Amino acid sequence: MTHAVISCLHANLAALEAVLDDIDQRGITTITCLGDLVGYGPQPNEVVNLVRERAIPSCQGCWDEDIIEGLNSCECSYPSQLAERRGHQAHQWTAEQLSEENKAFLASLPMSLRRDRLLFVHGSPNSQHEYLLPDMDAFAALERVQTADADTLFCGHTHRPYVRELRDGVIRVRVQAPTDPQSPAEREMALPVRRIVNAGSVGEPRHGNTHATYVIHDEATGNVEIREVPYDVERTCRAIVEVGLPPVFAWRLRHGFEYAERADDASHVCER
Amino acid sequence: MSQTLLISGPPGCGKTTWILNQIQSHPGPCGFLRLVGYPDEGLLQARDGGIDLVWLQDQCPGLLDLADPDKALAPRAAKLLALIELPQFQPPTDSGLAGVDRRAIPQLEALHLSPDAHLHFGRDAALPHQDTLDFSSLQAWGRNLAGAVWDPASLSSFWFELVNGAYGDVYRAKALMNLPDGRAFFCNWMVSREGSQFLPLQTLASPDGRPQRLSRLVVQGKDLDPAAIEVTLADCLLSDAVLELQQAPLRQRKAPLHPSPVA
Repeated sequence: MTHAVISCLHANLAALEAVLDDIDQRGITTITCLGDLVGYGPQPNEVVNLVRERAIPSCQGCWDEDIIEGLNSCECSYPSQLAERRGHQAHQWTAEQLSEENKAFLASLPMSLRRDRLLFVHGSPNSQHEYLLPDMDAFAALERVQTADADTLFCGHTHRPYVRELRDGVIRVRVQAPTDPQSPAEREMALPVRRIVNAGSVGEPRHGNTHATYVIHDEATGNVEIREVPYDVERTCRAIVEVGLPPVFAWRLRHGFEYAERADDASHVCER
Repeated sequence: MSQTLLISGPPGCGKTTWILNQIQSHPGPCGFLRLVGYPDEGLLQARDGGIDLVWLQDQCPGLLDLADPDKALAPRAAKLLALIELPQFQPPTDSGLAGVDRRAIPQLEALHLSPDAHLHFGRDAALPHQDTLDFSSLQAWGRNLAGAVWDPASLSSFWFELVNGAYGDVYRAKALMNLPDGRAFFCNWMVSREGSQFLPLQTLASPDGRPQRLSRLVVQGKDLDPAAIEVTLADCLLSDAVLELQQAPLRQRKAPLHPSPVA
């Protein structure tokens, strides 16, 4: 079966519509969303409504969680005072705009979705806020996939799509019993190939240009295609200004930059 | 023997950098003055507000301020190299001293300064020939930032946005900015050059409240959006409470390493 995975929609309706059109044109009917339906962008209700209308299974992203939990979940991760102020402004605006029904929908989203040996999360199996970057330590990456009991882990959150294969994974365990300290027991486990697939971002691309990104996965062949979809960026930029969000969000989106700023500490996990 | 040079050129052509090099290589005393430049049709001069002088005096601590009225009539030191900077958009129509903008003469006379030579960027071979731009239209905007202290990461983001067009087409930006740890940076950007300069001042302020030294931002360009810049500045500058939160550990770190005897 071929299925599509989308992530990080960020209330960008034009981008979501373009991506769904692209998926529809390929005859793909199974779509999974990795969260962050809202935040920063100008059409939170429209985007949530469209995901609900299309009955796209979704897990909860960090922004979806923040809107429900009231920002206490991870305000410590902002890279600067400027990013924090802008983030709060976007958060407050989004919280005011979202209907109660849509807030309840976001609150109902699970942390992860599973289909056989495929696991779908927003950040990592540990947290919606953890970034699985393409160059993170291989052992740590393997640990995330292995302990989640998955062959392929689909994630988002970084806004940069990638496919990472983790081969030749070996875990060696030495157990030394206090009763027999001279003869520790050793066990070696060779792990099969694991994969991390990052779907990038529909609504806030951060991979070098303005195109929305998502991935198509063929379960039979294992092939993963990273799709880039042009969309009407100006439509979203105009809407950002019209609804009263900071105009600099439009400028940043128009130039392929993130709405505010990327977190410097990618390994940060909020412990609150 | 003393020498007085008048250096003119359009914004960002490298006047101050060239002057700094002259001062640093001159064996005797040096003086500096930045004249107020004059607008031309559609071209506004930026109000430097003393950025160049503070930067040069930081790099060259003995540098004389030629604008000091108390020293205007004092005898010039022997071997004084007096360097006068004049922002000037258009190249002079005449060569040598005859090409000095007539409108600037009263400023020179008021300080009893009489240049021995006039060099203009883009005209005189004695000056670097690169980085001179012809402007057809230029707005200018400046902001006094006295006492303002930046969140360092926010300064980085703001400067990136500023020089990449988030607040209009900026051709030239320069500033002196304070950080909470007592450092200050001369920030310098020109559209024709690659990358920004962030040069630390040698003079450190104590991490004890707001520094008293000059701090200012000057921007030149087209379709500038000062209101949007102000909004971002408000989100970048530290409040008293946050400043104290950041400076208190720095003060403690500077305390004597030996513990006080317990009574």
